[in-house]
This record gives sequence, C-alpha cells and structure tokens, in this order.
Amino acid sequence: VTATPVRKRLMKMVLLTTGTVLLLALSAFVLYDFFTFRQIATRHLSTVGEVIATNSSAALAFHNKEDAEAVLAAVAAEPSVEVAALYDADGNLFATYPTGLAVSTLPPVSGPDGYSIQNNYVVGRQQVSEGERTMGTLVLRSNLNGLYARLGLYAVVSAVIFVIAGLLAYAISRKLQHQVSGPILALAETARAISVRGDYSVRAEHSAGYEMGLLTETFNHMLTRIEQQHGSLQAHLSRMHLLRHITQAIGERQDLDSIFQVVLQSLEQSLGIDFGCIGQYDATTETITVAKVGGASQKLAIQLGMGEKSRIALDSNGLSRSVKGQLVYEPDILAVPFPFPQRLGSAGLRSLVLAPLNVEHRVFGVLIAARHEKDVFSSPDCEFLKHLCEHVALATQQAQLYGALQQAYDDLRQSQHTVLQQERLRALGQMASGIAHDINNAISPVALYTESLLEREPDLSARARGYLTTIQRAIEDVASTVARMREFYRPRESQLLLARLSVNTLVQQAVELTRPRWSAVPQQKGISIDLQLRLEPKTAEIMGADGEIRDALTNLIFNAVDAMPEGGTITVRTALKEAPAIAPGDASTKQVYIEVTDTGIGMDEETRRRCLEPFFTTKGERGTGLGLAMVYGMIQRHSAELEVISEPGVGTTMRVIFPAYTAIAASEVRVNALPIVERRLRILLVDDDPLLIKSLQDTLEADGHIVTAAHGGQQGIDAFTAAHGSGNRFAIVVTDLGMPHVDGRKVAASIKSISSATPVIMLTGWGQRLVAENDIPPHVNRVLNKPPKLMELRATLAELTAVAG
Amino acid sequence: MACAVLCLAIGAALAAVPGPVTAAPSEYQLKAVFLFNFAQFVEWPEGTFAAADTPLVIGVVGTDPFGAHLDEVVQGEHVKGRPLTVRRFRKIEDARDCHILFLGEGGATGRQDTWPALLTERHVLTVSDADRASAAIIQFVDASSRIKLRIDALRAEKSGLTISSKLLRAAEIVSSTEARR
Repeated sequence: VTATPVRKRLMKMVLLTTGTVLLLALSAFVLYDFFTFRQIATRHLSTVGEVIATNSSAALAFHNKEDAEAVLAAVAAEPSVEVAALYDADGNLFATYPTGLAVSTLPPVSGPDGYSIQNNYVVGRQQVSEGERTMGTLVLRSNLNGLYARLGLYAVVSAVIFVIAGLLAYAISRKLQHQVSGPILALAETARAISVRGDYSVRAEHSAGYEMGLLTETFNHMLTRIEQQHGSLQAHLSRMHLLRHITQAIGERQDLDSIFQVVLQSLEQSLGIDFGCIGQYDATTETITVAKVGGASQKLAIQLGMGEKSRIALDSNGLSRSVKGQLVYEPDILAVPFPFPQRLGSAGLRSLVLAPLNVEHRVFGVLIAARHEKDVFSSPDCEFLKHLCEHVALATQQAQLYGALQQAYDDLRQSQHTVLQQERLRALGQMASGIAHDINNAISPVALYTESLLEREPDLSARARGYLTTIQRAIEDVASTVARMREFYRPRESQLLLARLSVNTLVQQAVELTRPRWSAVPQQKGISIDLQLRLEPKTAEIMGADGEIRDALTNLIFNAVDAMPEGGTITVRTALKEAPAIAPGDASTKQVYIEVTDTGIGMDEETRRRCLEPFFTTKGERGTGLGLAMVYGMIQRHSAELEVISEPGVGTTMRVIFPAYTAIAASEVRVNALPIVERRLRILLVDDDPLLIKSLQDTLEADGHIVTAAHGGQQGIDAFTAAHGSGNRFAIVVTDLGMPHVDGRKVAASIKSISSATPVIMLTGWGQRLVAENDIPPHVNRVLNKPPKLMELRATLAELTAVAG
Repeated sequence: MACAVLCLAIGAALAAVPGPVTAAPSEYQLKAVFLFNFAQFVEWPEGTFAAADTPLVIGVVGTDPFGAHLDEVVQGEHVKGRPLTVRRFRKIEDARDCHILFLGEGGATGRQDTWPALLTERHVLTVSDADRASAAIIQFVDASSRIKLRIDALRAEKSGLTISSKLLRAAEIVSSTEARR
C-alpha cells in the first residue's frame, strides 16, 4: 500500500465530481439558453415583424413603395434578419429587404401566420392590418447566427470556467484531502512499519477530525491489543521452548542429581529466578531435604541455611500445602507469617512459588523458586512451573525406574556370573575329588608307615630320621594340596586347622621357597629381579593355616615375577595397622597387611576385574588360571580381604589384609587335648585297597590293637556278623567309604543294625566334602580323611570307645 | 360578429378589386380607396360623434370625380365600429355634418376666408387634389406613376384631428403657410 493511489483517487474523485457538476450545470445552462434563445429569437423576430407590419400599413394602404422599403430597411439594425418582404392584400410582392429580391428567393407567402424555426432560420409571416382591414402580409426570415455565436461563446466561457474550476478544485482538494489522506497515509505508514519491523510498540500519531481521530484511536487500541497478544504469545512461545529444552535435557539424563541440576540451571538462566532449589519430601518424617540447589542460588542457599542435604521442617502454610499436591504462589512472602517464607524473606526474596513434584498422586518433592521482587510470577509463569514439575516428576520416576532396572539387571548378571562360576567350580571340584581320592589312597600307606617308623623305631640314624621327616612333610603337603585343589572355592570349614602364625616368618618362608624363580631362573635369561623385604618390626600375628597362606604368597610372588619379563623390583611388605572404624565408638581393631608389589606391566581394568576368576589367565599355555583363584579361596577362608591395585605400565600391588591375632580369636582354636588311651581293642578294618589296609593294620597292631582286615564291604559285614555271633565282638569298625558293590554306608548300616552301640569310623578321600556338605552318613560316628594320620586316628579311637565303653 | 364583418369586408374588397386589378385601377378609383383609408389613420376629437355607432360620413363637395367608385369602396365597410356613408354637397357651406370632405372642382368657392375656419371648427378632414390651390388638410399630389400625399400638419392640429404617424410617414408634411401657395 503506497501513498499515491489514495491521494490520486481522492483527487480523481474530487475532480470528477467537480467536472460532472460543472458539466451538468453548464449543459443545463446552455440547453436552457439554447431553447430560450430560440424563443427569444422567435419573439424578437415577431416583435420586429410587428413593428415593421405596423409601420408599413400606411405604406401599403397608400401604395408608397419607397416608404415600405424604408420601413423594411429598418431591419438592417437587426443583423440576424436576412430577408423581409411585404406583399399586398392581393398577394403581390410589394417591397423587399434588401431591395430587389425575386419572389423565388423569399419564403413563401402562403401558409399560416406566426413565427417558427425552420432549417436553422426563424421564419415569420404576419398580416399587416390597420384597424379591421388587412393591408397585406409581411414575411421575415432571420438566421440563428446569433445563437450559434452565443453558443460558441458559451463553449469558450464554459471551457474557461471548467479549467478554472478544475484548477481551483484541485488546489482546494489538494489542501483539504491532506486532512483525509494524511491520517490514512500515516496509519498506513505505521501499519507498514509495524509489519516490516514487527515492532508493535509503534503508535499512529493522533490526528484531528472526529472520524480520523476515532480511526487512529481504534487503530492504536488494536495495536495495543496486538502488542499485548504478541507479547503474551512470545512469552508463551519462549516458555514452550524452555519447557521443550528442559524436557529434552532431562530426557537425556538418567540420574536425579543431574536432572535437578539442569532444571534449576535452566530456570535460573531462562526464567530469571533468583533462587531455586528442589527438595525431596519424606512423608514419614514430614521433612523436606534439599536435594539440589541451583548453581546461581548457592550463595543464597548458604545464607539461608538451605544447602544441599539440609532439612526443612514443614510449616502449616505453603510447604504443607505444596506437599499435598497444590501449587503455592506467595506474591509477597513478607506478608506470610510462617517460618519458611520469613526465612526466605530475610534473604531479600519477596515472591515465591512452591511447585509439587508428584507421581501418581504421591508428592515426593517440591520445586522452590523465588525472586527478589514482589509479585513477579505471572500466572503463565506458575502454569509453566506446574507443567515443568510434571515433566520433572515423570523424568524422576523414569530415572528411578531406570536405576531399579539397572540394579536388577546388574544383580541378575552378578547372579548369572556367580552361578556360572559355581558350576565351573563344582565341575572342577568333582574332577578334583576323584583325583584326590586316588592320591589320598595312594599316599596313605606312605604316611602311615612314615609316622609309624618315626614313632616306633628309636634306633633310626639321624639321617634316616631326617629323611623320614622330610617324607612326612612332603606327604602332608601333598595331602593338603590335593585337598585344597578341590576346596579353594569353599568357605572355611571347621576342619581347617588354624594356628597362631607370624606373618614375617610366613613371608620369609615363601621368599625362600620361591628364590629359584625370582633369582636363579631370570639370571639364566639375563634378567635381573630385585626382591626387597619390608617387614613390620612389631609382632604381627594372625590366625591361619600356614600351608595355605604360604602357598598363596608363593603364588603372588610367582605372578609378580611373571609380570616383569624385562626384570624389575618385587617388594614384599608386612605391616600392622589400625583398622578403620566401622562405627564411631567401636573398639579399635588391628589388621595385618601383606603386600606384594611389582614394577611390571600392570593390568588393565578388564584384567583387574577378572583376575580372580578361575581359569582366567594372561599367561597363555603356561598358566592354569587357578593361581589367584586359589589365593582368593584362602582369603575367603581366613576372613581376609584382597586389594588389587594396578596400573598398566606401572605395576601391580596385591594387598592381603588379615585380622590381627587376638585372644578371642585364639579361643576358637580347636585343641586336641584328649589323652591317648592305652587299651587293646578288637578292630574290624574294611577297605578294598590292600595296600592301605596292610599299612593301617600294621600301624594299629603296632599300637597293640587286634585288627581283623576285610577286603570289601560284604566281607566286612560277614566278618562282623560272625564275630558278633561268636561273642568275640569287635569294639570298633573302621571302614572305607568308596568301595565296589557294597560301599561304606551299607557297611555302617549293617553293623548298626546288628549292634547299634558299636562305633563306626569312616575313612574317605572325600571326607572334607562330606563334612562341608553336612553329609555325614547315618550310622557313622566319625569321618576321617585319607591319608589317615596316626595321631588323629588314635584320638578318635580313644574318644569313641570311651563313649561306647 | 367582428370576424364575420371583417370577412365580409375582405370579401367585398376582393370582389371590388378584381376588375380594376386586371386593368390597372383608375386614378380616382385609387383616390376613393385612399379616402376610405384616411378614416382609419385619423382620429377625431371626442364628441364629434353623437354615438358609438354614428356613421362616419365622407362628403364630396363640388364636382364628384369618383363616380360610383367611392360608394363601392365604402359599401358595407366599418371603421372602428362605425358604418361609412357617402354624401355629396353642392356648396361647401352645406358640408357641415361630414367627417371627411373631398373638395372637388368648384366645391371650395364662396367665402374663401370663412369656410376653412368653419370646417376646422367642425373637425372636418379636408382632402383635395393638390393642383387646385386650396386649403385642404390632405392633398393628393400626382407623381409620375403614383399618388403622393401632402399633409398640412398645422391645419390638422387646428382642426383637432389626430393623424396617425404612419400616415404622416407616408406623406409630405407642410405648414399652413405653405398650404396657400
């Protein structure tokens, strides 16, 4: 919309109106004049005719032609009259003007009297009479040149008037139209400016004139409304953006802390709140715990004593209403006489919104937003906060659900992992049990004879005694190794013999045992490994099984050597430390540390996490994957802890933490205090292994007992039945568990059915497992492990027969 | 009624005219018409006529040159509602009760000094041929092809007669002194 057409159109209208009016007026005037003129001309000619006729009557009456012509010549004064002619009463031409005209050139004499216009001429015919007498006829003809001249003049005058009037109209309307077009153009300009710039604060200038003023006023009013609506639209839009932005941001987050963080930060930045925090509501204690304070609100929060994790008691107004699910808006918190608003007010905050966070009608938190100014939260603001809180609540719930899901998933994975591992260990255990059984059977005679020899042959040379002692220790180690092979995964058993041990001694033993691995072998390869001992100077003692611990330390040192293919330093450290207090006020306890540190290749996170798994190895063919698993088994059985600290390229520290020895722990030690009873007993031995039965028979008979050997279950039962019938009864039965056809359980059952008072000792390579699984068979009084120890066997025999006797 | 009279008059005029028209009208035929016409261009003072319909009398004194023409001309004619009559007198002294008096040959004899005064007193329009030196108010002057009129305006005024300006225009105006020449 350009300015010109309106002006042009207005001008056109004015000029057209003026022109039309003028044209009509002039036309009417000319037409009127035209007809009037014709009338006038007619009348005029008739007047002339009358005069001539009157004056010429005498001329006609007295035949005076000169006089007649003189009278006619008078019409010369009237230039329009072209022709005048007098006829006498007989119709003969009497005189003409101009003189001497022929009859033929004159209007005909016959016809009615009167004056009329014929062919652009006024023609008149008049009787010339005197009194009652008719003297003749006067004929006149005049042209209408006068009329046309007049019309021409009128045309010129009209044109001049037209032009002048047009110019005047133009000039006037130009001046006047400005009054109309000016405000319109101003309005149009304003409207254009607004639409181009989108600035609705522009207002049209007020113009004079009622309608124009009204128009401008209405326009401005409309602008005000548009501006308001535009403003509120913009505000809504920006809030929508903000809401979208926040929901998007919180949608990307799964933990509550960062959800709250992003919400509060957005509110501070985009909604311009001066203080914002989110509190979690605990319905049971009726308190709100501040979960998160906005970044910009921290200072104020500290001032208010509303830092994170601080608690706010519910007061009966705002907070309690908000935890019931209402959005609370306090436009002036100074006017609210409750502690919490007053507290905020003391920090200069004036307006406050409390928006509940609720999921499924349960309020779990409150969003607190406040500003320094009074009454500055508009209702769209409150609405926005309400919507936001719904989103936040949902996101929170989702985060919680997500967390629970993650937890469940982790638990499930852990269980699966555990189950898998246990399955593996069970398979391994089964295999190990089979092997252990055979080995135990095999070494049983060696153990029995060695022990017997050392005991019964005082004449042995010192050398032979030394050899036998070594054999005995080696057999013991074999037996315990075999046992551990199956048992490393198992919690400590009652059978595990714990002793008061000095860790420094254990460490030194382990270092000596492994010396070839860290000293001789690397030297052959040209590698230098330095081993340093850092021992605790004070007495550091623990309760434990020395073999297991020694083995574990040996394993750790081997691993350290393996971790340093290029050589390095191994540091073995022991220490006595105060245990960290679990709860204040507890009596301090002490812990003993054993650390093996290398400067080797270290472990990455994956390896560190998995290193304790059975069969996990980084050593390829060389490794069994059981080393650290066995260490861990030992750790568990000793109620110890293992810490693995490692960094790839730097090295690894394996730290074993034992509880330090105390008097209470010592009391748990099982003490074998029963005296060996020197009684001769009739003993039935049942075993399918001839070597074992022979060695056992030899050693028991050496103790003075009467031993009957049965090479199989059925044979044993038969022997017992026979002896029972003869009255020469056996005082006790020692039977193997695993035998073909009739096994130890059946033997025991049969013996108990014959003589329920006769004690039954079961020897087994599986003994520890039976005990562990609470699987002591019925009818069996005691289970003993293979290889049997003479001391143990003697004690058991004495105990059971004493009870029986 | 007036219309009918007018028609009649025209009809009479037309009926009277055709003969002479074919043969050119004689001098006195024309003069007779002139005499009649004078009645129309002259007004007499009030009281001249006893009544509205008192006839207007055209008198001829002396020798009558018109013959029957004058009677034919005035026959049935009216001027301003008055019928016209023609009377002939032997002596001018007799010619008292006429309005237009043509002074024929021998008519104006007698007391030359008194009769004009007498006629003037009686408001009589006197007409004569110009070649007879008389004291008539209107004189016929014979020109080559036509008859001209000579009017003694002073005498007419003395007589109390009002002569139409139309007639005066068509005539030659003279004063009384000239009239005696």
